[in-house]
Amino acid sequence: MKNRLRVLRAERGWSQADLAMRLEVSRQSVNAIETGRFDPSLPLAFKLARLFGATIESIFTDDSPLA
Amino acid sequence: MPLCNQHLSPLQRRYLRLFGANLLLTAVLVLIAQHRYEHAHTSMVLTYVLAALAAIPVIAVIAVVGRYLARETDEFVRMMVVQALLWGLGVTFVADTFLGCLFAYPSLYTLIPPLNLDLFVVTAGVALRVQIWRNR
Repeated sequence: MKNRLRVLRAERGWSQADLAMRLEVSRQSVNAIETGRFDPSLPLAFKLARLFGATIESIFTDDSPLA
Repeated sequence: MPLCNQHLSPLQRRYLRLFGANLLLTAVLVLIAQHRYEHAHTSMVLTYVLAALAAIPVIAVIAVVGRYLARETDEFVRMMVVQALLWGLGVTFVADTFLGCLFAYPSLYTLIPPLNLDLFVVTAGVALRVQIWRNR
């Protein structure tokens, strides 16, 4: 799943550690989500959306083919 | 939260201590049982009791891991721990099957000690370190 996390974070001048602190997760979690190696759960995705004042769909893009 | 940030969170530190304490207790109880079997006549009932006593902390180890996973709020760390545990289980099952076949050959039976819990803990620990290194 692609996402705009790195861009949104950069717009606010936050480091991965800053974002991790705000989300109450590890910096590695933020890194793994940003690089697409880990898809967050719905609660964490909602938390991200609230933090950036955006919708989940505007942050994450499902690039998997339709069934 | 920061399992992978060099420091352990209070939750991780607490459960790591409980995990280690139960492993140590298992080792001590196994050594006591072995010492007893080798140096004194042990009735069949006492043999079963000692074996069961040694197994109790293993149940506690599983309970500790389960409670930690239920309480860990960082889902990525939780995923890494679960993957490490699966590696530990996988390697242990493979080694157990391999050693089980070797045990069928009588002269090898006494040469190879059973390593299940030791192997599981070491493999899961190594797998977790590798995960942490990969996601540094």
